[in-house]
Amino acid sequence: MLLLLLCGFSIILFRLVTLQVLQAAELTAKADRQHQKTVSFEGARGMVSDRHGKVLAMNVEVPSVFGVPTSLESPSTVARHLSPVLHIRRDELERKLQQDKSFVWLARKVEPEQGRRLAQLSLDGIGVVMEGRRFYPKGPLLAHVLGFSGMDGQGLEGLERRYDLHLHGEKRVTVLQRDALGRTVFPKGLAEQVPTPGHALTLTVDEVIQYIAEKELEEAVTHSRAKSGTIIVMEPQSGAILAMAVSPRFDPNVVAALTPDRWRNRALTDTYEPGSTMKMVVAAAALEEKVMTPGSMVFGENGHMVIANTTIHDHDKLGWMTFSEVIQKSSNIGAAKTGMALGEQRLYRYLQAFGFGQRTEIDLPGEVSGLLKAPKDWGGRSLASISMGQEVGVTPLQMVSAVATLANGGVMMKPYVVSEVRDQKGRLLKEVLPQVKRRVVSPDTARTMTTMLEGVVTNGTGARGAIPGFRVAGKTGTAQKIDPRTGAYSSTQFVGSFVGYVPAESPRLAMIVVLDEPQGEAWGGAVAAPVFRQVGEQVLNYLGVSREDTVKIALAMKDH
Amino acid sequence: MKTVTLVAGVLLVFVFVWERVDVVRLGYQIERLKTQKVLLERERDQLQVKFSALTAPERIAKVATEKLGLVPPQQGQVLMVHLPGEAPSLSLPSVEQVRLARHDSTGGVSE
Repeated sequence: MLLLLLCGFSIILFRLVTLQVLQAAELTAKADRQHQKTVSFEGARGMVSDRHGKVLAMNVEVPSVFGVPTSLESPSTVARHLSPVLHIRRDELERKLQQDKSFVWLARKVEPEQGRRLAQLSLDGIGVVMEGRRFYPKGPLLAHVLGFSGMDGQGLEGLERRYDLHLHGEKRVTVLQRDALGRTVFPKGLAEQVPTPGHALTLTVDEVIQYIAEKELEEAVTHSRAKSGTIIVMEPQSGAILAMAVSPRFDPNVVAALTPDRWRNRALTDTYEPGSTMKMVVAAAALEEKVMTPGSMVFGENGHMVIANTTIHDHDKLGWMTFSEVIQKSSNIGAAKTGMALGEQRLYRYLQAFGFGQRTEIDLPGEVSGLLKAPKDWGGRSLASISMGQEVGVTPLQMVSAVATLANGGVMMKPYVVSEVRDQKGRLLKEVLPQVKRRVVSPDTARTMTTMLEGVVTNGTGARGAIPGFRVAGKTGTAQKIDPRTGAYSSTQFVGSFVGYVPAESPRLAMIVVLDEPQGEAWGGAVAAPVFRQVGEQVLNYLGVSREDTVKIALAMKDH
Repeated sequence: MKTVTLVAGVLLVFVFVWERVDVVRLGYQIERLKTQKVLLERERDQLQVKFSALTAPERIAKVATEKLGLVPPQQGQVLMVHLPGEAPSLSLPSVEQVRLARHDSTGGVSE
């Protein structure tokens, strides 16, 4: 008898241990799944505005619709009512509502109007919560810099990604309880503990300058039937980016249908062989090292020079010319000779000092360092090639940063796009001040370079970059692309570019225009220089920079 | 004396009751205002997005050129006027060692 009792007890005990100890975790999870659902709510994502406080990205509360399938009597009826409001196919809704779950999202972040219509329907088992949705009110403007954020408010690209730690609001996880009737009960007082919103960013970008750059770039890309294009406008004294335009553009409000190729910020993720614009850097190095002066005579070898069993050609058959003319006429042979006069080590040192082969460390994600081989890996032709902008890969940002260095009297500034971070109450959390990277060349060299680069525009290859009433310093570049099939330089695919600054005597803007694979006439002087002129003219006008001629008029009147 | 105490006592009770009622009333009011605040803030944000979209330079340029028939000022149509001493400044504190000599009045302003 006693044995029987003991036996019974041990069986019960065994079962108890199995349930409570061995399967405890599994069963608790199962129970929770039946009567609990965790949903996280996030505080509003911080706002992004331009240098004058114009809103470029902000969050707005919009309705998200969820369903409680287990409390529905007829999922198909509900689906029929919902379908026209949410613009979702009926069978899809029905499928979602037939799942054995206590919570299912039906539509996230819909239009406010849809929320109102839904409230009028007042369906049982269907609820609405407000969630923050990211809006980019200016559409494609600055999209490549801004990037975008995902459905759950996480920054995915661009500034949204780089500054996600600042921008994202506090996340609060809430456990929804299901009551005995299977209805979802939101915890009381949810509205009271609103999670703290994220921090706001102020950019150095000016939306008007950005618009001008984008408009002109789009026009140029369409007109020249180029594959893509980039414009960067920078303030040389501070390194602040005023505009960064990439074509083709995209609308960050609707990225779902796009491929990453469209939103990559080519201004800093893609490298190109700069071609002749690099001669500007080589020339600055030669002046600084005193191996050349603007008046030094260089022989152009009548357009042909053999180096390491290859021939370097010039566009024109040039004879003796001054060093200034080498730059003005963009002579390859002249540049190669300059490079040779400098020697491998010195040239390499200056290329590094001008920032090539390293990231500029701008506060945007995805930047690449480009390609600059060390002298020990150079071939017989490399010294000449690099001097004329081949065998190196640079980003448009590196190139504009190099030209800005000359514009800034030889001092390189670190480029940046975010100038201020503020919390939700407007208190300043972080202020970014212009940051000096290094002095690259002396003010004298920078001044001499400015004069030489002015020559490029007044009577050289960059004539179409001239802006009436202003002194422009600039350099054109046309590089053949390497055909991926043959591995040799293509005769049909080019990159045309123009870099420069204006007004030359006290620069307000440093700018680069790059057009990738323009069709027809592809010379940088023909495709990119006019864009520089168009953008430069409008931006200087917008900034209220005096033209030289008007200054004279004003002064003349004062004299009377 | 007795009546005074009695009246004071009754008054005290009244005050106490009134206070409780008022607390409840204010509680409701606070709740209502809070809801209203949330709704107003939401509306403000929506309006701000709308404002921002409407003032986008792209849209303004489009309306100005297509609807109003305006054109950008042509060469020679803009005269910059600067007050003496007013520097046309866009920029932030400039870095010390980075100061370029200004050449704005070149002296060579001959009649």
